[in-house]
Amino acid sequence: MRSWDLIRRHKAGNIAIVFVLIQALCIGFALALPERFPYLTENNVQVMLKRIPPLAVMAVGVGMLMIAGEFDLSVGSIFVFSSFVMAKVYNTWVVNPFVAALLALVVGGLIGLLNGVIVIRAQIPSFIATLGTMWFWRGANLFFSGSVTEPFLPTGFFRDLFCATLGPEGARFMQAQFLWLFAVLVLGYLTLERHRFGNHLFATGGNRQSAIAIGVNPNKVKVIAFVIVGVLAAFSGILATVRVESVSPVQGQGMELMAIAACVIGGLSLTGGEGTILGIFLGTALLFTIEDVLLLLGAPGDYLQGFIGVLIILAVIFNRITRKE
Amino acid sequence: MISPSANPSAGAVAGGAQPLVDLRGITKRYGAVTALDNIDFGIWPGEVVGLLGDNGAGKSTLIKIMSGIVQPTAGKIYSRGREVRLRSRRDSYELGIETIYQDIALVDQMNIMRNIFLGREMTDRMGFLRMKQMRQTAMKVLEHTVGISGITSADQVVKGLSGGQKQAVALARAVYFKNRIFLLDEPTSALSVRETEKTLEYILQLKGEGVSSVLVTHNIYHGYQVADRFVVLRLGRKILEVRKEDTSIEELTRIIVEN
Repeated sequence: MRSWDLIRRHKAGNIAIVFVLIQALCIGFALALPERFPYLTENNVQVMLKRIPPLAVMAVGVGMLMIAGEFDLSVGSIFVFSSFVMAKVYNTWVVNPFVAALLALVVGGLIGLLNGVIVIRAQIPSFIATLGTMWFWRGANLFFSGSVTEPFLPTGFFRDLFCATLGPEGARFMQAQFLWLFAVLVLGYLTLERHRFGNHLFATGGNRQSAIAIGVNPNKVKVIAFVIVGVLAAFSGILATVRVESVSPVQGQGMELMAIAACVIGGLSLTGGEGTILGIFLGTALLFTIEDVLLLLGAPGDYLQGFIGVLIILAVIFNRITRKE
Repeated sequence: MISPSANPSAGAVAGGAQPLVDLRGITKRYGAVTALDNIDFGIWPGEVVGLLGDNGAGKSTLIKIMSGIVQPTAGKIYSRGREVRLRSRRDSYELGIETIYQDIALVDQMNIMRNIFLGREMTDRMGFLRMKQMRQTAMKVLEHTVGISGITSADQVVKGLSGGQKQAVALARAVYFKNRIFLLDEPTSALSVRETEKTLEYILQLKGEGVSSVLVTHNIYHGYQVADRFVVLRLGRKILEVRKEDTSIEELTRIIVEN
């Protein structure tokens, strides 16, 4: 019973329990009715696992910023812009794809830095500031791309590093980019829970006045968090662009809200100061699981977003109720 | 211009030694409200100052200015004869100031250990936290120095603690990082009698070690128990500065309550 208590008391315990229950339910049905509910087929698992990494990587950044009490709505635009720079530079000058990818991360970080500086210097809510930059970079994406999809087709080691399939014969369900996600999750965990900076993030979002009184500089913390979000949004873009082998100017739209939704489902507080990396990951995974289940059950595609909306509201209510006890 | 050597109370109080912190003509306005009006306030080595006054007298504002988290509208601050600027908590820390705030200044969502070491974490070279070391130190400080019962683990989240326990955590933080000057803004308001006694004893113990304190309190008896000197504020003005041997509890009470 002690381990049960530990799970219940863990900050992401409730969402973990829900996640395991839903997975158990899905696997149970899939084993009982493999024809009607092909949840466990290689193809289905592969598709689901492919979809998780880009959003989860982005959500880690968005979540860390939310813990500091700020939002970034421009991540979808950063995702496209930095990927577009990567693809364009790679295609135009035939540089090493690693150099192009590194450039994308730098571009993402700089855009994040700009977001941070605008929010802190102009003292406007990040929700508004990044709503502005979201549209600004979206416009830049259309302008620079000429509304045309840019191909990105590096081969060999670079592609394998992201897209090699892993797993035993007959169950090659996982792509290498899942390992990248894993690395981001571990780094995110170390930053949040085991590093000085994480301590300052929680303090900044939890109680700004106390943080200042004790000697934390919330502005500095927030600017760094914005840079991290920018870099992770760019990395998310790289993951997606390598996989689909192109970047389109309208890609990534709506991802900013999906990332926030994943965080909220994962138990992050909208007012800051609370959240876990595990919760962010499970929130993202749950989002795609539910979507996948609905598709497998033949729910009409038109209604899919409606279901997701209901799920988000239920998740927040659930988190509130379970936290009160 | 007033120079620090022209401090009227310097010679009188500490026989010519230079004050650790010396506020000169400090004024703080919030819009039309004047919270502090031309205040001179000094802290000398090895003394305990009782900062008294009714609600709204400006005591907390004065503490916050000395802590660097509120900037004065006018006035200068000197330390050992040199003009200094206190722009952040970090600046005051470097001057040797450690503060216990009235509103306690804890982050509710974080655990005790993380609160105690916030901003001054024990880390390795890469900035990663030394969790075990911080946890053990936190418990040791809580058990031995502050002596507060009911806290069983440094991993407890502050949100669930009682008012007294929260105050104990804030006290433990200041005790652990003890410095040359200890500013205490109503440190005993949520403490039990035993815990209060322990805190007052601790102020005297620190004085023995050469640490100066400023004790802000409503409770004149607590102030009288430990302070060497009293400063009384009313509506942002300093209305009395007196050494303990030149006054009495009755006189202090009369001055604070009279209109």
